[in-house]
Amino acid sequence: MNKLKIPAVLVLAYLVLPLAVNGNDYVVSLIVAALTIGGIALAWSMLGNLGGMVSFGHAAFFGIGSYASALLTIKAGWPVLVSMLFAGLVAAASSIATMPALRLRGPYFALSILAYAEIFRIIATEWKGLTGGAAGILSIPRLPEIMGIDLGGKIGGYFVVVTLVIAMVGIYAVIRRSPQGLALKAMHDSEDATRVVGVNATMLKALMLVVSAFFAGLMGAFNAHYINFLEPDYAFSGSWTTLAIVAAIFGGYRTLWGPLIGALVVYLVDQLVFKAILPQGHQIILGALLGAMVLFSPTGLTPLIAKLTRLQRKETANAAH
Amino acid sequence: MFELFAQSAFSGVLAGAYYALIALGLALVFGTMRVINLAHGELVLLAAYVAYSAENKLHLDPLASLPLAVAVVGLTSIAVYGLLSRIKKDRELNSLILTFGLGVIMTNAILMIWSADIHSTSVPWHHDAIILADLLFAMNSEVFFGVAGLVVVAGLWWWLEKTWYGRALRAVASNRDAAKLMGINPQFTEILSFAVAGLLASVAGIAIYSAKVIQPSLGHHLTVKAFIITVLAGMGSVPGVLLGGMLLGIVENLTVTLASSALQELAGMVLFLVVLLVMPSGLFGRVRRRG
Amino acid sequence: MLHINGLTVTFGGLVAVSDVTFDMREGEVLGLVGPNGAGKTTLFNAICGLARPGSGTVELMGKNLLSMPIHHRARAGIGRAFQVPQPMHELTVRENLTVAQRFGAGKVDKAKIEELLDVLKLGHKADMDAATSLALTEQKALEVGKALATEPKLLMLDEVLAGLETTGKRAFLDTLEEVRKRYRLSVMIVEHDIETITRMCPRVLVLNFGRLIADGSPDQVFNDPEVIRSYTGGEPA
Repeated sequence: MNKLKIPAVLVLAYLVLPLAVNGNDYVVSLIVAALTIGGIALAWSMLGNLGGMVSFGHAAFFGIGSYASALLTIKAGWPVLVSMLFAGLVAAASSIATMPALRLRGPYFALSILAYAEIFRIIATEWKGLTGGAAGILSIPRLPEIMGIDLGGKIGGYFVVVTLVIAMVGIYAVIRRSPQGLALKAMHDSEDATRVVGVNATMLKALMLVVSAFFAGLMGAFNAHYINFLEPDYAFSGSWTTLAIVAAIFGGYRTLWGPLIGALVVYLVDQLVFKAILPQGHQIILGALLGAMVLFSPTGLTPLIAKLTRLQRKETANAAH
Repeated sequence: MFELFAQSAFSGVLAGAYYALIALGLALVFGTMRVINLAHGELVLLAAYVAYSAENKLHLDPLASLPLAVAVVGLTSIAVYGLLSRIKKDRELNSLILTFGLGVIMTNAILMIWSADIHSTSVPWHHDAIILADLLFAMNSEVFFGVAGLVVVAGLWWWLEKTWYGRALRAVASNRDAAKLMGINPQFTEILSFAVAGLLASVAGIAIYSAKVIQPSLGHHLTVKAFIITVLAGMGSVPGVLLGGMLLGIVENLTVTLASSALQELAGMVLFLVVLLVMPSGLFGRVRRRG
Repeated sequence: MLHINGLTVTFGGLVAVSDVTFDMREGEVLGLVGPNGAGKTTLFNAICGLARPGSGTVELMGKNLLSMPIHHRARAGIGRAFQVPQPMHELTVRENLTVAQRFGAGKVDKAKIEELLDVLKLGHKADMDAATSLALTEQKALEVGKALATEPKLLMLDEVLAGLETTGKRAFLDTLEEVRKRYRLSVMIVEHDIETITRMCPRVLVLNFGRLIADGSPDQVFNDPEVIRSYTGGEPA
């Protein structure tokens, strides 16, 4: 069952889905946006699940990644894919500035990261010489053509983002199973027990922050080259964080695939259904969803479904006896 | 140059009293429940919109709409408590996410009911200027709510320190179980603190509607401001909230005077981070570790 | 190999450990006894880093432990088992040992983990959740196992026998003796049961009101009038 899961996901991601929606540019662009948010949600969950910290400022790393990659391609003439990777590193480096906040707990950490995001946004707005200020940056280079596939097109963009998020899930899976990941997981409820066996929790949390910032920055970089346009209020917009949190909580931020599934469900339903019903204020349903999840199923949708199917299986098994 | 300094310090002090109004409710709820209500700014904004509707539909002066605002916002605040009290595990983390979600709901509800347009009071008195000592300029409403801020802070401080309800509230804040043994019903005091937070939010909301302009996305911004001030103050310090608000107000106004208005928010955020990271118990708080 | 000199720990106004001085040789098995609240656990905490002493020094094989953060002390050779077992939550038994080994001993050695599982008789529960699926004896075994996985020089056992019935206790004592010999450990044991202490420890220290009031063989110590007085509830002389 589990061995079939990975090939099934790959077939779905690279064959079934593209064939099913190719040609419908609107749906493709919605899925790309959903996966972009899913990528941020994954990055957010890495910090939330393993680091035990809620961040309200992941837009900071997303925004820095988008600006870094856009500027590297435009001002330094770097190839797009190289710039994207490097932009992730820039975002990771910027997270070092936020590390003093790791000493803080709960709401203090959450909101201090938000303050960093605000500071980064203001810098991007005011440093006009570098970023073009509030007017933004136009005509950011598109993604290149590789092996006959134009990655700059809608479906090409889909392939890039789906590859990025699947790679992220893979890396996340490795981290979760590593002693470092296990130690971080144990930190939540057994702080003393973990420390006396030699775990340097602060260092591990800092590493998680760096990894999380790298991935959020990478998603930002992708988005910059996919949209080909940036302005500070967009790149550092709080809704990157909001949507990612809703997606992660909805899908189950402690699970591997939950944040991605959550992003796909939440964003697509929001855009295709809620937006049609409520043209203005449709995010109200996202807020309600978030509240409902916290109150009724704090572990998220994916574990809930897993629990339900297990129950059902048990029932069928019982009925068979 | 002196005039500029004096003016920005004066504006800063007035802004500070008004900031304190916004932050008090957040600080009070944090004090009693150890919960940061991320929908607090939205409660403040809701009061402002109630005042707007009262002015346009019932032709009330914003000040006269206070009872109505208290009723609406107080009930909403208690409803927020009702939901919060249902959280079973991981309260610190889940309460953040829940109140964040409630903030999103309220922002969008405001957007749906009152549209995205910006509003401010059309009662001219509020926007009329007064000039003090031939030097300092302010609007009537700014001065009025600056003074109101002082009075409310003093009142809240008196209530917490000198009345039995206030003492019960502080007892629950410092040790919930011990308070229970003393016969205090912690749930009642928690509801009370949310109700009072609603009252404080109402005063703050009417102040904003009278002196500034409102729009649906303002709520989140107000929450962040309130949190910043609470951190500057040091958790649990009521007079600290006033001083923290004034510090923020003065720093912001001086930044506008000396540098540019674009950097106003930056100054506030930097001040917040520096205090948070360097002075773990705030500027005026009792010593309490936050890490 | 362990030198403790003038160690004092205070909580507010309360002196939990007061000017304690003693040495421990390599390979020694040292019993630590005293009435409730005598400061035994606090002394343990001070050595492994969970309590911060006001004054004094603690040296393990020439290294100053007090200047190290907690997580370095495991690497320096301290292995601590808590009185109330503290498995690392959300991890399996094997993952508990793996984490302790990776961070406490700085290596990944799967064979060693299997050996520990075997010695501590935890093999059949290796992949179960450590916090929820172990019987009391097994929880205690894992508690010792985590300490052993860090490859300590000094194993500190805080009442690891408490709560076990007689047969379980005897079996567990045998296991402890086996691991002590196999890994050539120095051991420090806090224990209430005087019979156990007499059997296991050639040397016993007695704490009362945070002070070290006796140091010697079980025979000497348990016949010391001050020790007897401390157990019958008298103030220190």
